[in-house]
Amino acid sequence: MYDSKVVRRRRAALAVFVALSIAVLTAYFGESGGGFFHALQRGAQEAFAPIETGASRALKPVRDLFGWAGDTFDAKKENKDLRSEVERLRAALAEAQTAQRDATQLRGLVGLKEEDGFPRGTAPIAARVISRSPTVWYSSIHIDKGESDGVRVNQPVIAAGSDPDAGEVGGLVGKVTSVTAGTAEVTLITDASIGVGAQVMPSGATGVVRPAVGNPRDLLMEFVEGGRVTENTTVATSGFTIAKGESLFPRGIPIGRVSKADLNEVDIYQRVHLKPYADLKSIDIVQVLTRRGTASQTAGVGLP
Amino acid sequence: MIVSPGSFLRVGILLLLAVMLQLSGLSQLSILGGHVDVLVLVVAAVSYYGGSVAGCATGFAAGFLLDLASGATMGVSSLVLTAVGYGVGRFREVRDPSHGLLPVAVAAAATGGFVVAFAAVSFMLDVGASVSPLVIRDAIVTTLLNALLALPVFTGVRRLLRPALKVDPLELRRRRRPPRETGPLGLRGLEV
Repeated sequence: MYDSKVVRRRRAALAVFVALSIAVLTAYFGESGGGFFHALQRGAQEAFAPIETGASRALKPVRDLFGWAGDTFDAKKENKDLRSEVERLRAALAEAQTAQRDATQLRGLVGLKEEDGFPRGTAPIAARVISRSPTVWYSSIHIDKGESDGVRVNQPVIAAGSDPDAGEVGGLVGKVTSVTAGTAEVTLITDASIGVGAQVMPSGATGVVRPAVGNPRDLLMEFVEGGRVTENTTVATSGFTIAKGESLFPRGIPIGRVSKADLNEVDIYQRVHLKPYADLKSIDIVQVLTRRGTASQTAGVGLP
Repeated sequence: MIVSPGSFLRVGILLLLAVMLQLSGLSQLSILGGHVDVLVLVVAAVSYYGGSVAGCATGFAAGFLLDLASGATMGVSSLVLTAVGYGVGRFREVRDPSHGLLPVAVAAAATGGFVVAFAAVSFMLDVGASVSPLVIRDAIVTTLLNALLALPVFTGVRRLLRPALKVDPLELRRRRRPPRETGPLGLRGLEV
């Protein structure tokens, strides 16, 4: 075992160094910035600076090596995090864009119903498009509302325009051609089987609107009677019957704007091109007019 | 430890190198949020081989150098490293351990004690800001890294200090080996 001298020496050494440390600590805290220990520290740092600089340069490759390894790990983790964030943001963006698109279309539908001449009391039911026909020849959509919601065959369907803020509030898109309990099929006015009795406003010329198959941005108004049609005039459902039986479409539903009006010398009727108000290429939300409304005149539908 | 100008010189150079290495290199190498604290390892190694008196003296000098060079509050590192050096030296003196892997445990304990004591002293002195829980992670990582580096550092320090050591730890270990049971008849039963 140790003798008492060694023990005393050991304890004395500990006491001395602890006391020295506390003294240095106390003095350092007690003195001003220009005091002895602060000055000593500054001097030491100046003296050590070249050594530290040299050591830092010498150790830079080692630091770079470790840094590279660390960066690689960090980059992998960061890459993973960023990927998940991109996925999340992409989903959020898609959701926001969908919501914005829906809002635009709903705003257009609201604006459409407030248009002058639009039939009143039609009890519209909003529905979401759940599928579309894949070919241009059979232009139809399926909606998520059906018989249990009050949807019936031959009810007219309207949709918002592509830019309601610019006046493209929307218009007629088609009619319900079949219905199940929860869904319905809507045949669009771009389908080859559709014809809609129409009237040019305000000239009063009447005719039948038919599709230009393959081009949903273009409709044709045929068998125009009752006056000359000029460009940029509005065409709406006329409410006239063009076939036997009651008309399907109440008077006053906007269809489109006249984009081009030809008069061939050999033709009896004027051939009028319409640009449909409804954005038929990308419909997400439609409204089915479940009641006929209060219009006194109705338009006929069917092949002329 | 033999007190001589040579031993002072060796320990002084060792501490200076350790401080420079720590400040210029290792402190800037972040590994899993922590970094190697080689100065604590050096103090622990000197204390382990030199004893408690040499340990607390080395701890004080190392802390003083570190505070001088780093511009930290002077006296804090000295106080804590003095305690670490003394503790490791006393452990060696009391237990007289001989296992070859003991430096790993000693380094881990010394580093853990250092970071905890340093944090405690810093809290008592001038830390007024809120402290992130991440300091706990850093302390744990630093302790583990130091434990990993313990064997090479302790070996290097022992080789450097061997001329100044009263008893070479390797010699002690050799003397404790059991007597030979095999070999030439003349050597059996002898501690060789």
